[in-house]
Amino acid sequence: MSNELHTRAEKLIAQQRVEGISREESMWLEAHLRECANCTQLAQRTDAALRSLRQNPIPLPAGLAERTKFRVHLRAEVLREHEPQRRLLWFMCAMSWVLGVTSAPYVWRGFAWLGGHTGAPKLLLQLGFGLWWAIPALFAAAIVLLEHARQASEPEWSDEQN
Amino acid sequence: MADDTKSLAQGLKRRDPELLDLLIEQYQYRLFRYLVYLTSSRERAEDFFQETWIRVLERGHQYDGKSKFEAWLFAIARHLVIDWQRQKKMQSLDELTDTAQDNPLQIEAHNEPSPLHLVLSHETQAGVQDSLGRVPAIYREVLLLRFQEELGLEEIAAVLAAPLSTVKSRLYRGLEAVREAMQGGAA
Repeated sequence: MSNELHTRAEKLIAQQRVEGISREESMWLEAHLRECANCTQLAQRTDAALRSLRQNPIPLPAGLAERTKFRVHLRAEVLREHEPQRRLLWFMCAMSWVLGVTSAPYVWRGFAWLGGHTGAPKLLLQLGFGLWWAIPALFAAAIVLLEHARQASEPEWSDEQN
Repeated sequence: MADDTKSLAQGLKRRDPELLDLLIEQYQYRLFRYLVYLTSSRERAEDFFQETWIRVLERGHQYDGKSKFEAWLFAIARHLVIDWQRQKKMQSLDELTDTAQDNPLQIEAHNEPSPLHLVLSHETQAGVQDSLGRVPAIYREVLLLRFQEELGLEEIAAVLAAPLSTVKSRLYRGLEAVREAMQGGAA
């Protein structure tokens, strides 16, 4: 029997277990295994290795699930507590956007009036108008950043605290 | 299955604590086993186990219910382990894979037993488990996902965030490695 046949059989033995092979390939492999003791041994060794892998027990640490549930419940509580704050923040952002849009013509007129009286350059007025619009967003961003910083400074829950 | 995963996704979006309790119970063994295979340490696996479920609670809304929950769960666990490795200024599992050479990630030097090897050896004297500890971690991982978790190749690719060809190549090499390890262990 040529080496090519054994190489093909070896390849198919692995392929059959990893991704499957076609019916023709399977029939060819079976026929080859009936005649080749070495390849049969390889197939048996592969199956034995996979069986061992499947049956390999790793005992669970005692109380792991309970400890995890406890931590998850604590975290869920914290998240629930923060939920109204987050909603309020979104509401404030939405309100500020709506008010910004509706008040834009009046604010612009106000800036134009101010410019007319003070003789300030147009670019400065435009920058001021842009800043006026950006203030609510900057304010919201500052709140979010402060909140993140506060959360980061909170001590992590550890097993020692259990 | 589609209905199950959809309702699961809705429950996770609601951050339903009872649902999470059930999931922790249901997947505790599989997740812990995966983490032990990945980290080679029971203590570390315990920490990552808890962190993974916290992450599931926080990011539950990201699970769309279109894929198997376990694939999503394992992907979260894997990301946590890789983040931790990066924080420790170590290379990630993927980066340590040299596909051009037969030089995959080794947890310890060839002649020394890996932590997993030690863990398993202490727990049982079975030669099979000793042998498994000698299989490189990146191969153990795909072998576990394919032959213990029975995930499809595409699902494994999603967990690993790697191309299908990489998954297949690791599986073939892993199969060879585990076969050799068993043979060596039996000898």
